[in-house]
Amino acid sequence: MELDAGVATERAVVPQQEMSQDRSSVPGMKLAVEAQGLVKQYRGRSGTVDAVRGVGLAVAAGEVFGFLGPNGAGKSTTVRMLTTLMSITSGTARVAGVDVMAEPDAVRRRIGVALQEAGLDPRQTGRELLVLQARLFGSSSGQASAKAQELLELVDLVDAADRRIKGYSGGMKRRLDLASALVHEPEVLFLDEPTTGLDPASRLTVWDEVRRINARGTTVFLTTQYLEEADQLCNRIAIIDGGRIVREGTPGQLKGDLQRRRATAPPPTLEEVFLDATGRTRERVAGDVKGVSE
Amino acid sequence: MQQAGVLGGRALREGLRTPESAVPTLFIPLFFLVVNVGQAGKIFPSSSTSFLEGQSYAAFTLPSSLLLAASFGTAALYLVEDIEGGYFDKLRAAPISRSALVIGRLLAEAAKSVVITAILVVLSLPFGISIASGPVGFLLLLVLTALWAVVFAGFMQLIALKTRSAAATNSGGLVFFPLLFLTPNFVPRELLTRPMEIAATFNPVTYVMEGLRSLILQDLAWAPIARGFAVVAVLGVVMVALNVRLIRHYD
Ligand SMILES: Nc1ncnc2c1ncn2[C@@H]1O[C@H](COP(=O)(O)OP(=O)(O)O)[C@@H](O)[C@H]1O
Ligand SMILES: [Mg+2]
Repeated sequence: MELDAGVATERAVVPQQEMSQDRSSVPGMKLAVEAQGLVKQYRGRSGTVDAVRGVGLAVAAGEVFGFLGPNGAGKSTTVRMLTTLMSITSGTARVAGVDVMAEPDAVRRRIGVALQEAGLDPRQTGRELLVLQARLFGSSSGQASAKAQELLELVDLVDAADRRIKGYSGGMKRRLDLASALVHEPEVLFLDEPTTGLDPASRLTVWDEVRRINARGTTVFLTTQYLEEADQLCNRIAIIDGGRIVREGTPGQLKGDLQRRRATAPPPTLEEVFLDATGRTRERVAGDVKGVSE
Repeated sequence: MQQAGVLGGRALREGLRTPESAVPTLFIPLFFLVVNVGQAGKIFPSSSTSFLEGQSYAAFTLPSSLLLAASFGTAALYLVEDIEGGYFDKLRAAPISRSALVIGRLLAEAAKSVVITAILVVLSLPFGISIASGPVGFLLLLVLTALWAVVFAGFMQLIALKTRSAAATNSGGLVFFPLLFLTPNFVPRELLTRPMEIAATFNPVTYVMEGLRSLILQDLAWAPIARGFAVVAVLGVVMVALNVRLIRHYD
């Protein structure tokens, strides 16, 4: 429906802004993700697709970084390159201080990944999936069982733990997927559209979990097409459109910049920043990027 | 290797969770055994057919059924399910050797094949079959069939990794028709027509079949056994190497 969700959450975001401004003022801060000139071309029979066209990123350790963009902007492609799942056409990327192309396994040990389609094996139980995941990251079978139990409690899936994943709801699958990305206590957690397709209650649960995970010291890199999500959760955001980053900063900075540029009275919402950055109109954006209030 | 074991364990669990998938693997080979014996059993009475070595025709044709059971390539069908469902990407994001990702399933396939082959041999005992090469021969028979299962599943995994499509992987499985039937499956190679004999000579499955057959009909005859093992060893190495190569460049 209406896209004014950003306004409603204006107040909630203020303390987070202050936090991240503190952080970004520290010089020589350790970077959790850094990329220069990232390019991805898909070559297929029907020609070449330039999905990502020179993306540069600098995500500080400890922050929740939001990668905001409409469908097809190149968010998933960027995440797949940063998480070693896809080759990089050109450019360089370091995650948790390690070069993605040179030492993919070292990167894999330091990151957790929950992709856009929660890829879970329907024939295993939630517990089995977590135990297997922990074993693959080097835990003994005893450690893996303990870790699985701990994570099931964290994402509130203890009751469903011994049922097959096939019968889980969408929200339960997302939470399990999130848990499975945490078995090895990663330094950086990548979440590709963690709440797309979820009902509002499940969405709030996932937000809470993201905040809790971040509070334990994990850097979170999340993509979203929801403006409110970026506004609520993220210390800093980058807006990507057509494979290029078109804005970057804290939600507060982005709104402030636009307000100064326009010199208008009411402070703009993140939505207006987004519209300005992507050259979209309200009508067009309704199909691309959504407020959560619908 | 330990990671391949963990993944193999999961693949076995998956097999146990879908027992219905084992039904055709047991039923179709038994069906072929019954039909083959029913059609050709009278032409080749054991008393006057020297190539039966005193056993029934069922013993002669059992290897075709065992190889058929080992050529379902279920590992690849589950793999393509993982790929289509996205779970494969989760596994790929783990810091495990790329080869463990493809070898785990092949290990499970070998284990499943041992169980299915043993069941098929037991079920075919009422047809008057005995394993002339004794317990050692029976073990060799299990291993040889399991290695063939790895070769075939490995081949189908190549299609799965390349196409990432269940339909294509299923179609790829149809190569078992020429592979299994351009062989001396009804009569020994010397009795085949000339073109058929040539085709069978070039078909690697012929040597696996002849190896299995010698284990059933004769005391340990090392020459055909060695040829059978040589064929699966070479093909097995090729398949695993190609699988590893594909997964290394999987994008
Ligand atoms: N495997 C692929 N082959 C060809 N084009 C692709 C492939 N995956 C994505 N694309 C294209 O690349 C662009 C970016 O896609 P993606 O990264 O999935 O965007 P987002 O996650 O932001 O929605 C889109 O135009 C999409 O159609
Ligand atoms: Mg996407």
